[in-house]
Amino acid sequence: MAVKFFGQYLIEKGVVSREGLLKAVALQDSVNLKFGDMARSMGLITDADIDRVHDAQKTKDQHFGEMCLSLGILTKEQMQQVLARQKVTHLYIGEALVKVNAIRDEDLARHLAAFKADQAPYAVEAVAIPKGVPHAYLWEIAADLSYKMFSRVVNLTFRRGACTSITSMDRNDVVVAMQMHGTVEARYVLSVSAGVRDQIARAILKEQDVSKEPREVLVDAVMELMNIACGNIVAKAVQMGYAIEIAPPVIVAAPLAAPASGCALLFPLHTAEERVEVGIFIEKK
Amino acid sequence: MKKKVIIVDDSIAVARQLEKIIAESDEFEVLAQARNGAEAIKLYQGKKPDIVCMDMNMPLMDGLTALRTLLALDRSAKVVMITSLGGVGDKYTEALKLGARDVISKPFQPEDVLRVLRAL
Repeated sequence: MAVKFFGQYLIEKGVVSREGLLKAVALQDSVNLKFGDMARSMGLITDADIDRVHDAQKTKDQHFGEMCLSLGILTKEQMQQVLARQKVTHLYIGEALVKVNAIRDEDLARHLAAFKADQAPYAVEAVAIPKGVPHAYLWEIAADLSYKMFSRVVNLTFRRGACTSITSMDRNDVVVAMQMHGTVEARYVLSVSAGVRDQIARAILKEQDVSKEPREVLVDAVMELMNIACGNIVAKAVQMGYAIEIAPPVIVAAPLAAPASGCALLFPLHTAEERVEVGIFIEKK
Repeated sequence: MKKKVIIVDDSIAVARQLEKIIAESDEFEVLAQARNGAEAIKLYQGKKPDIVCMDMNMPLMDGLTALRTLLALDRSAKVVMITSLGGVGDKYTEALKLGARDVISKPFQPEDVLRVLRAL
């Protein structure tokens, strides 16, 4: 029950071995060159240029190709040529598995179709994000997968509320957060009232009764749900080309305000009696 | 004889879940638990378990750093990573490249955990 990548799915199904997958990944690593290596292999840049770009990237957050443009190392046309070459020569994991004889060519389409069916429940459904919010599609992914985790893992019955821009997030019985770093700098916040906290704990601990559990364990279960949700969000985001890492979850004690140089979004989950909210606090990069 | 397992996870909830799954099996038993990678290394050296089940995303020392250190100490260590990031191809394959025997994605079912442990 999670967002997966094809190699992982095949291992879990017993179709390929760990060694088979590692051979295929090694082949991918040798074929799928990074932008700088590809540009060098095409004779467009030198090792010294690559060092210059890496030095410049230490002080400015720019992709390798864009930095080459900024430094006048490549023209826009040359950058496009490199990107096109990367696209044409890209070896997908399924193709790599066939090349290293981990799966048969004639079986690849069948495995891909089964994988697609397995992952269909994680296809992202549209969520309206206020205009002007950067990386809106990423927050659609975050909201939709959060809803799905509450439905499938916690078995919570709720109605999706409209997403709104907020300046602060109110206190609740449990508020926990995870920091996202990389293409975006953001804080994912989960806020739940006591009834939902206990429902989450029952689901995570797989116990019928959590009334005697200490608060520490109940809050920990909420953090674990957030960890699962964020792990799935990152997996989906990576499939879409984002590069994101997550930090371990933390408990939030103080009220949360939107970053001065960014914005914050609230995704309420309406239930009969409880208060459940997902907040995304986005720093401007 | 039951195989001895160390659980390494900063989440009490996950550690409890794993402990229950392992304790209810006839083949494995939980020897000890650690809350981060640094604790896991100390514990491993002292207890010499058959298997380590370790989270990837932990404070103080993350799971991949601990995996690298453990395998530098004992190339034959059998480490299974448990993670919510199993769907991130680079993380999954990095764990395998470093020498993890398998990767279990969260949320997991008891049969997922036992299938992996039995295969070691």
